[in-house]
Amino acid sequence: MSQRIALSWLQLRHEKMKLFAAVAGVMVSVILMWMQLGLMKALFASAVRFHGSLNGELVLVHSQYEHLLHSKPFSSRLLYRLLGSSAVDDVFAISMAPSEWKNPWNGEMRSVQCYGIETDQPCLSISGLPEQLQELRSTDQFLYDRGSRPRFGDVIGAVERKEPVEPEINRRRMILSGLVDLGASFGVDGSILVSHANFLRLFSERKPGMIDVGVVRLRDTSLLPELQKQFQEQLGKEVSVLTVEQFKDRELRYWKSATPIGVIFTAGTVVGFFIGFIVVYQILYTDVTNHLPQYATMKAMGFSNGYLYRLVLEQSLQLAVLGYIPGTFITALLYAGLQKATQLPLELDLTRGVALIAVTVMMCAFSGVLAVRKLASADPAEVF
Amino acid sequence: MTSKTLRIESGESTRRSYGGALPASHGPVISGEGINFSFGQGELQKQILFDVQLEIQPGEIVLLTGPSGSGKTTLLTLIAGLRTLQEGRLNVLGHSLCQAPQQNLLDLRRKIGFIFQAHNLLPYLTALQNVQVMFDLQPHVSPAEGRDRAVAMLKDVGLGDRLNYHVSRLSGGQRQRVAIARALVGGPQLVLADEPTAALDSVSGREVVNILQRLAREQGRPILMVTHDARVLDIADRVLEMQDGRLQTNTVRTERPSAHQSATAASALST
Repeated sequence: MSQRIALSWLQLRHEKMKLFAAVAGVMVSVILMWMQLGLMKALFASAVRFHGSLNGELVLVHSQYEHLLHSKPFSSRLLYRLLGSSAVDDVFAISMAPSEWKNPWNGEMRSVQCYGIETDQPCLSISGLPEQLQELRSTDQFLYDRGSRPRFGDVIGAVERKEPVEPEINRRRMILSGLVDLGASFGVDGSILVSHANFLRLFSERKPGMIDVGVVRLRDTSLLPELQKQFQEQLGKEVSVLTVEQFKDRELRYWKSATPIGVIFTAGTVVGFFIGFIVVYQILYTDVTNHLPQYATMKAMGFSNGYLYRLVLEQSLQLAVLGYIPGTFITALLYAGLQKATQLPLELDLTRGVALIAVTVMMCAFSGVLAVRKLASADPAEVF
Repeated sequence: MTSKTLRIESGESTRRSYGGALPASHGPVISGEGINFSFGQGELQKQILFDVQLEIQPGEIVLLTGPSGSGKTTLLTLIAGLRTLQEGRLNVLGHSLCQAPQQNLLDLRRKIGFIFQAHNLLPYLTALQNVQVMFDLQPHVSPAEGRDRAVAMLKDVGLGDRLNYHVSRLSGGQRQRVAIARALVGGPQLVLADEPTAALDSVSGREVVNILQRLAREQGRPILMVTHDARVLDIADRVLEMQDGRLQTNTVRTERPSAHQSATAASALST
C-alpha cells in the first residue's frame, strides 16, 4: 500500500449497483458491436470462401461476370489455350449454376449451387475433395457441402447413419457419394460438386465446352503480374484474367454495393456504440452530480479542476476495460453458438479486438468528457 | 505517551516532523482592510460585509463569532480565496487577493488547511486514505512518505487504531478528527475552520477543538475559526465578533496559554 490512492477506482466501486449497471451497459454495447462487426466480416468471408480455395493463382471469368450466382459462361478453349504457355503448370475448368434440390425427406424445393469440376485433379483445396474425386466419375454421383444449411434435409445425419441419400436435383435423381467442406454463405445456402459430364446431365440446356470459371496454376508465381497482363492480351476482351484477390474483390463489390449488408451492419455497430455511450454518460453524469459536494470540497482544499477531470476520465476508462473483457468473453460464446447454427465463419480476431477496445475506450472517454462539464458547477465557496 | 511527556518537558515549541516547515514569516498571516462585499446585482444587491479590517499574526488562534447571517462565513471564504474580492485590500500568506488569477487562488488554498462544518470526508475512503489523498497535492512527497505522515497524523488525533476504518464506521467526533488530520497533514501555513463543532455533541466537540488547538500550538500554525459555540471560546488567543457585517473591536479574551498548559490540558482530555 505504498502506492498513491486509486481514488477513481475506490469511488467507482463504492456503489456496487451503479458500477454493475455501468459495466453491464458497456458490456452490452461491446457485444452488440462485436456481433455486428463479426457478422459483417463473416458474411463477406463466407461469400469468398470458394474463391479463396481455388487451386491456382489466376482466374478466368467472362468479362460480364458479376458473382457466383450470376455468371456468364465462356468457351473452355480460351482456358486451354493457356496450356501452351510454359509458365502454366495446369488449368482447371469449372462450371457452375444454381440448381433445384428437392429435399428427399419433405419434398421441399431449395436452390443449391452446383459446381461442375474436373475429376483428374482437385481444382479446390478443400478437405474431403481429393480422396473422393474418383467417385464423381460415375454417373449421377455428387459430393455435398457439409457446411450447407439444414434446410436441405438431414444429409449429414444420413451419411453418418450410412443411409443412402438420393435427392432429385433439377428433376434428376442423384446419388450422394460423400461430403466435402466448402461452407455456406449469405447468398449460397448449400453447394454440391459434380463432374463436368454429370453437370451437363443436370443442365441439359448448357452447351458442352462452355465453362464459368477457369483456374490457372502457374509454375512460378513471382511472374504473376506480367503473366496476368500477357494472358489478358492473348485472350482478348471476352474474358477477364483476374488474380484470386481481384476475383474475391469482384464478389465482395457485388455484396457491398448491390445489397445493404454493409450499411446495415455498420449502422448496427454505430447503434451499439451509442447505447454504450449513453449508458456510460448517464452513469457518470449522475455520479458526478451526486459527488458534487465532495468535488467542491476537494476544489476548496486546492485540488485543481484538472485533477478532478482526470478522476472522472479514469473512471470512464475503467468502465471501458471492465465492460470490454466480459463483453468479449460472452461474444466468444455467442459466436460459437451462432457458427453452429449458421455455418458462418465467425471468429474473434485480433484486429477487430484491438479496434473494438479502442472504440470502447473512445466511447467511454467521450461520455466522460461530456459528464465532466458538470464538474464546473461544483462551487467550492458553497461548501462553507 | 513518551512523546507527550517529552513535549511537556521540552516546553515551548515542539514542532513535529510531519508538518511542512513553516516559513519564518514576520508580518501578519492575514491582513485586510476596507473589505466590502455584496451578493446579488442591482436592486437585489445585498451588502454582507462592511469595511472589514482584520489582522492575524503567525501562530495566533483567532475565533470569529457572531450571529448567523452576520457575514462570518463570507469573510472566511474571501480569505480562503473561494470568492472574488470586490472591494478593499486582503493579503493572505503573502498572496494579494485583489484581482488574483484563479491559479494564484489555487496555490493559496493549497497552503491552507480546511476544516468544514460537516466533516466532508470522502465516504468511499478509509480514514487513512482520506488523509493520504492530500499528498496528491504534493507530488514531491513519495507515496510511502505520504502514508507514514498520514499514519503519524492520525495517531496524533487519537485514531491510530482506526486507520483502516471506512468513514461510515466512525463516529461524528472521530470523523471530525480525521478531518483535522486531513487539514494539518500537508503542513498548512494557516488553518481555516468553519464551525467544526456544529455537528458534534459537547464532549466530542470539546475534544475536537482541544486537539486542533494542541496541534496548532505545537506546530505554530495560525488558526482562524468561525464558531458560535460559546463553549470553545477559551481556546482562542483572540475572539473577533461580527455583527451585521461589521467586525467589532478586537477583544482579547484569553491570554495565550503556554505550551505547557495546553499540552497538559490536551493529554488530560485525550486519556
